[in-house]
Amino acid sequence: MIGRAFLVCRLAVKDLRHRPAQALLLLLAIAAGTTTLTLGLALHGTTNSPYARTRAATNGPDVVATVMPGGSSAPAPSTQARPGSRGPTMTVAQEAAALVPLEHAAGVAASSGPFPVTWTSLRKGHTNGGAEVEGRSTAVSSVDQPKLLRGSWIQPGGVVVEAGFASALGIRVGDQLTLGGNSFKVVGTAATAAIPSYPDVCAEAEGCFIVGNVSSANPGLIWATAADAARIAGTDGPIAYFLNLKLDDASAATTFADRYNANTSPSAPYLLSWQRIRSGDAQVLIKVQTVLSTGSWLLALLAIASVAVLVGGSMSEQTRRVGLLKAVGGTPRIVAVVLLLEHALVGLCAAAVGLIVGWLTAPLVDAPGAGLIGAPNAPSLTGSTVGFVVALALGVAILATFVPAIRAARQSTVAALNDAARPPRRRAWLIALSTKLPAPLLLGVRIASRRPRRLVLSIFSVAVTTSGLVTVLLIHATGSNWSLGPQVMRVTTLISVMLIALAAVNTIFIAWTTALDARHSAALARALGATSQQITTGLTVAQLFPALVGVLLGIPGGIAIYNNPNHTGPTALPPAFWTFATIVLTLLAIAALTAVPTRIGARRSVAAVLQADAT
Amino acid sequence: MQQEIVLAMLAKEPSRAFQLRSRLDDALGPLAEGLNAGHIYVTLSRLEKARLVAVAGADGADTKVYRLTAAGHERVTEWLSEVSSPKPDLAEFHLKLIAAAAAGLADPISIVDLQRRELLRRLRDVQQAAMAEPNESDAGLVLEGIVLRLQADLRWLDSCERVWSERRSKR
Amino acid sequence: MNESVLLRARGLRKLYGSGEGLVRAVDDVDLDVMRGEMLAVMGPSGCGKSTLLHLLGGLDRPSAGELSVAGRRIDQLSERALAQLRRHEVGFVFQAYHLMDELTAQENVELPALLAGRAPRDAKRRARQLLDQVGLADRADHLPSALSGGQRQRVAIARALANEPVVVLADEPTGNLDSAATLEVLRLFEVLHNGGLTLVIVTHDERIAAIADRLISMRDGALVDETRLAGGTRRSLADFAGLES
Repeated sequence: MIGRAFLVCRLAVKDLRHRPAQALLLLLAIAAGTTTLTLGLALHGTTNSPYARTRAATNGPDVVATVMPGGSSAPAPSTQARPGSRGPTMTVAQEAAALVPLEHAAGVAASSGPFPVTWTSLRKGHTNGGAEVEGRSTAVSSVDQPKLLRGSWIQPGGVVVEAGFASALGIRVGDQLTLGGNSFKVVGTAATAAIPSYPDVCAEAEGCFIVGNVSSANPGLIWATAADAARIAGTDGPIAYFLNLKLDDASAATTFADRYNANTSPSAPYLLSWQRIRSGDAQVLIKVQTVLSTGSWLLALLAIASVAVLVGGSMSEQTRRVGLLKAVGGTPRIVAVVLLLEHALVGLCAAAVGLIVGWLTAPLVDAPGAGLIGAPNAPSLTGSTVGFVVALALGVAILATFVPAIRAARQSTVAALNDAARPPRRRAWLIALSTKLPAPLLLGVRIASRRPRRLVLSIFSVAVTTSGLVTVLLIHATGSNWSLGPQVMRVTTLISVMLIALAAVNTIFIAWTTALDARHSAALARALGATSQQITTGLTVAQLFPALVGVLLGIPGGIAIYNNPNHTGPTALPPAFWTFATIVLTLLAIAALTAVPTRIGARRSVAAVLQADAT
Repeated sequence: MQQEIVLAMLAKEPSRAFQLRSRLDDALGPLAEGLNAGHIYVTLSRLEKARLVAVAGADGADTKVYRLTAAGHERVTEWLSEVSSPKPDLAEFHLKLIAAAAAGLADPISIVDLQRRELLRRLRDVQQAAMAEPNESDAGLVLEGIVLRLQADLRWLDSCERVWSERRSKR
Repeated sequence: MNESVLLRARGLRKLYGSGEGLVRAVDDVDLDVMRGEMLAVMGPSGCGKSTLLHLLGGLDRPSAGELSVAGRRIDQLSERALAQLRRHEVGFVFQAYHLMDELTAQENVELPALLAGRAPRDAKRRARQLLDQVGLADRADHLPSALSGGQRQRVAIARALANEPVVVLADEPTGNLDSAATLEVLRLFEVLHNGGLTLVIVTHDERIAAIADRLISMRDGALVDETRLAGGTRRSLADFAGLES
């Protein structure tokens, strides 16, 4: 028993060493998925340090109490402001008054504010956006004094922009900004822990107003003098009040907030603990993680297709396995086990590669942005991360080799040694149909339909890739609403590139193995008078049919992924022009990638092929 | 024992009877075991009587040295260029080639080619007759037998040609 | 130009490798094949006879020399033009039959016509006609696996005739066949030959050589012998069988 196991291991390793290029390719295919997954899992919680540092540097609040205009005390991320209304229930003075009792509540050690907050449109040069403007004093506040990263603090006519917002829109100290029609100069940029930094100012339920005449701008935070803020708000802009509280016991912030939030009267303030704000700052990260984990699933599916095409796909693979059998004198069952083991080994190596590369590159994806101070936590590789990644890799490897392994194991030794490659099944209806097609298509259709498994893999591969690309399209198209920030864009680009690369590799594999398997038929057709041009055209066009099916399946697939149950908001559909462009470009790419290996195969000497393959 | 074979073997050089015998043994290998030793002497005396062979010096019956006469030479040359009769004797043809090569009287390969051409002509006749007969008929069956035997002979001639060509190229 | 010369080769060469490993597969061959002639090419294995056949049919390009089919030079033709040649002028028959396993006899025979762009109905009709001509009309819907070796080769011959070629080139057509199947194929060749078709047959089988008009022998890539067997022998058949006449 031990001896058998040893033999199997040795065979597996030997087989891998015999085909290093193929093993490497498989490893890379699976490693794309494992790296992405590792990245996704390792990023968990890495904004905690920067947030803590920002909190310390700004003496950030433990609780922020808010009163919104219109008295809405329930969390409302965006409400259309009706010009001229301050809400039916409260005046500005009443709003501020509602907050005052909290300053002296039990457990409160210090406070700053209430500060007036308004929302308005922003224009810098040609860029349009939105801004949440908090009116402050020029003096230092005891709680939440934003830490200046550049320039100086506010002054009449001079505003300070939150650092994340400034970085995203390219706002520099000295720039001119127009806020709500009034012109201001940027005198500094700063970081705060009291409100999540751009682009997640409105992520946690402090409430936001998206001002009516700005279409869909995600506002960023700007500090100005109280007088300037009042001027910006004008007579009918919304004014809310924020109060920053420091507690005796910071860890009790959540209980404190919950206690006061229990009062659901519309005029009561709404409280947020610092933990909630911290998770607001983590939103970008969470989005990045979501993209990465979805991406890793897609890449894993593609990797399954890659492995499946290479393994048990071509006749040369089957003969190779038979050769293995003969060399060793083993049974088909042993060959099947060797096959599984070989690919499990590749999977394990891919898991290791993914874990290492993911861990090393996490910092690159990780930067919390300009809005928080300091470097992120080192990414963590917990036991469960390792477990997930290994499971993914092994899952891919085994799933893909399962079917060919079972088939190999079921063969009797005699049949296997006779090198009985499965003969193609006859499909009379397809043959009859193909006679009506022009010569190249006739050949292409007949040859392509001999291995339906390969057709399915082709459809699958294209469908998965298209889903991914459509999802990315959707993210970009709807992104400006919930502006996703540069990290998310970077990560989606990365995943798109990996998907396209892997899909391209799959396409080439499939075209190559098809050309290889078809060489006898192709040579015969050429002996009967077909040109190699016709053969190349025929096989390429034949490959476009499954590609088209794949693309058509991938579009709803991508829509489904984006509009998954976790998704908030209306069902998004991808823009028509870009969708069409994706379809056309994909088909063109597949045609090009298929044509090259096919053409190489179709130009071999007819006589040589026919003589070599004499049955 | 064909008279011509003995004549041909003397064409190389005059020999004693037992020398002829040993050359036959070499040429025929195990086939020679069936040969009766006495045959050679009988054939030699017949040839002597026909004046195709003469005795050159003698120390008694066992050690007579025989040689070809002019008529004998002529007969040999004639024989070498003849094509075999309808029932070609394998051994005889084989010895013909050896003798011709040994005596340098004729190129074994051209003898083979000649024979081959003849057999091909015969094959043509028989094959065409066979094709004219209906399938599976009795006549068709016996004709097929002849065809296959002729084919076998032709195959052997291919081997002869190959072997003798190699010998020639080695020289 | 002699109208009755269908294939003409002058100085035909095919070389592989170089230097020490140079192989002269076909070495300076001059050959004329007449219209309506049945030519047999024989020789030991590796003598280049198959290569010569491939050159004659445009399946391979010569390294040097001239080659004409029906008066037209083909040694310098593009690949596409050679494909046209194989489509309309030349039909091939192989030792291994090379039928498509998943197509019936009829679908195999109609394939060259379809590849040449003929209407499916015409191609089908022609295929039936040809299968009838080779005596396999009742097997038109059988797969090759359901046919005997001789029947498969006859289907292959029918396929070679699909586009009405001027010459059929056969490479060891009876190599995989037993004696009875060989007879079937021989009969077919004889019928086609009598119908005026030009045949060039590479073979080991003396029976084919025996019914050919002309027999050429090759060795080491060169033609070494040429024989005409017309006229047969003057002996009676009984002599060959051991019967006393």
